[in-house]
Amino acid sequence: MLQLLLFNVTNGLIIGAFYVLMALGLSLILNLSNVINFAHGGFLVVGGYIAYTITPYVGFWGALLIAPPLTAAIGLLVERVLIRPLYGRDPLYSLLLTFGLAFIFEDGTRFIWGAQGKPVTVPAFLAQPLSNEFFFITGYRLFMVATVAVAVTLLFVLLRYTRLGIRIRAGTLDLETVSALGVNVGLLRSLNFAAGIYLAGLSGVLAAGQLGLEPTMGAGLLMPSFIAIIVGGIGSLTGTLLGGLLIGVASGITAVFLPAASEAIMYVLMAVVLLIRPRGLLGEEGMMT
Amino acid sequence: MKNEIHSMKLDRRTVIKTAVAAGVAQIASPFVITARAADAIKIGMVDPLTGAYAAVAQNEVIGAKFAVEQINAKGGVLGRPLELLVEDSANDVGTGVQKTRKLIERDQVSFIIGDVNSGVAQAMAQVTAEKKILHIVSGGHTDGITGKDCKWNLFRVCNTTRMEANSVSDILFNKYGKKWHFITPDYAFGHTLQQAGLANLKRLGGTMTGNELTPLGTTDYSAYLIKARAANPDVLLVLPQGSDMVNCLKQIAQFGIDKQIHVAGLQQELESLESMPPEARVGIWMFEWYWKQPGVAGVEQFVADIRKRSNGKVPTARTWFGFTSVQTYALVANQEKSLDAVKLAKALGNFELPAEVKLQPNKVYYRAGDHQLMTSSFVGEALQKPAGDPEDLFRVDQVVAGDKVSPAESETGCTLQWPA
Repeated sequence: MLQLLLFNVTNGLIIGAFYVLMALGLSLILNLSNVINFAHGGFLVVGGYIAYTITPYVGFWGALLIAPPLTAAIGLLVERVLIRPLYGRDPLYSLLLTFGLAFIFEDGTRFIWGAQGKPVTVPAFLAQPLSNEFFFITGYRLFMVATVAVAVTLLFVLLRYTRLGIRIRAGTLDLETVSALGVNVGLLRSLNFAAGIYLAGLSGVLAAGQLGLEPTMGAGLLMPSFIAIIVGGIGSLTGTLLGGLLIGVASGITAVFLPAASEAIMYVLMAVVLLIRPRGLLGEEGMMT
Repeated sequence: MKNEIHSMKLDRRTVIKTAVAAGVAQIASPFVITARAADAIKIGMVDPLTGAYAAVAQNEVIGAKFAVEQINAKGGVLGRPLELLVEDSANDVGTGVQKTRKLIERDQVSFIIGDVNSGVAQAMAQVTAEKKILHIVSGGHTDGITGKDCKWNLFRVCNTTRMEANSVSDILFNKYGKKWHFITPDYAFGHTLQQAGLANLKRLGGTMTGNELTPLGTTDYSAYLIKARAANPDVLLVLPQGSDMVNCLKQIAQFGIDKQIHVAGLQQELESLESMPPEARVGIWMFEWYWKQPGVAGVEQFVADIRKRSNGKVPTARTWFGFTSVQTYALVANQEKSLDAVKLAKALGNFELPAEVKLQPNKVYYRAGDHQLMTSSFVGEALQKPAGDPEDLFRVDQVVAGDKVSPAESETGCTLQWPA
């Protein structure tokens, strides 16, 4: 039983790492622009399908490099044309817009690539389990965790040590003052949105290798990411990181004792955190009010 | 709002735009209706064209449309053309019911087909029974539809879960072993399929090492697979369908579990096999219809006709479900020279499908006692390497007649109540 538990904790951390990548993109956009991006799962799907389309020409590694920036470019276009006019309005407007966009992305991918799922093959050396005992740790899952670790590190370096990152962090705290200091807030929001969507695109490519592709896959992956943000604390990227890992592990442990509740446990965890600490684990009081 | 830079306002232009959009929607709707043929017999189809079952639902629609085309080319029904109206249930009970009501009350359809989702199909059946409209469930498998919840107006083309389990259980037991572990989708279809499989396992003298109930839409099966492998069964039965099954089998292949434990299931579909990488296509399964049947009358022509209409893709069991549902209505209506639902439902009792519709070797007929179509099970093995045609991903080892695997009518729990 102890071995089974350890297996599932490790497994939960691997799953949690993926939620982290999704949730960080969502969190970036939410923190700076107050946009609850329900289309994030849609962008993930677009990223995956772009990778699927270009893989025959550029291979898996080429797709991993090219698909996320292409998804970010689509995100940038969406932000400039559709989301920007709504910044001055109640967040409910952008929520409804992105909610609608999620359906458009789903139907759009179904229209272009068909309703039937698409198999995505990963390089053969990544598709094997590491050992017979640790059969659930495959090369690809380790590669996913490593990619997430690199992406998260780069994101934190960007936010801490670059001018753009410092402005994004400052904007998260007080966008009006940042604007008054002469920073081009429109451009800042666009770049930040593109960075968030880049992470969605990257998640899409990684998910495609793990799960294959299907137009509805974004919706299923979106909810755990929202929960990760709420559990970790809105406004805190470190909290999002923690939240993602926590729900992954909670889900893994529950699968040992009560498999049918392994998804419900995320919601239970969220409810408990909100009851005990409404701002989330590392959230700052007053964010998003 | 803290981050607000611009001011909030609902301006005049927005109000006007909304009003214009609403106005256009009002005008557009009747226009579409007047464009339809005046003397056509309207039939309705409600299926989840969006959502998790979209791929299989779209194939049912392709089959139904082809049937309409074929019927109309031969003179239609009672000398009138058929007109098929298709609505999206979005895999949602409320939407399915609403669309069924709309088709019956507004569009005046005389026949309803649907839904892929058993729960939606059962809810639709309440409406069709209330409105006394003949209804064929094309692709919802849960037993109750032609069991305890059966209705005088309700028929089903696809198999029951009991039929599926009965067709493949003995082979799995004899070939793979007596300790079974189930991965079961946690809803009506999964429960009845697992119960049917377990009943057969007990009858054969085997044991169940565990049953993992997985929520619908599960993307990561690793936790369940860790537990299943630890139980050390002879056979791991994968019962989820659609994208859930694809995810589960992909992860089984990635973890190399299929190298240690036999992997199989009680129902498989071509749509799922085509969505998997080759290494995930393993094990013994049953198909409800398969496109490659050398020497069986009409099948080759049907495959060629469907390929012309679906970008070269072969028909699947779902295509045949949609095709057969529409053909059944046309055949019985022309035979009875009537559109009266009660008359047609009575005539469908023990109604046998002709060769050009059944497209399989055994006798295929609707049972009078529960309205279940006695259609064959195609039992065989999934192929990692296509056998010639890229879509030939299944090797059929035996075709078992429907009435050989179906429980007797008296055991289904169905009691038909006919209107006075």
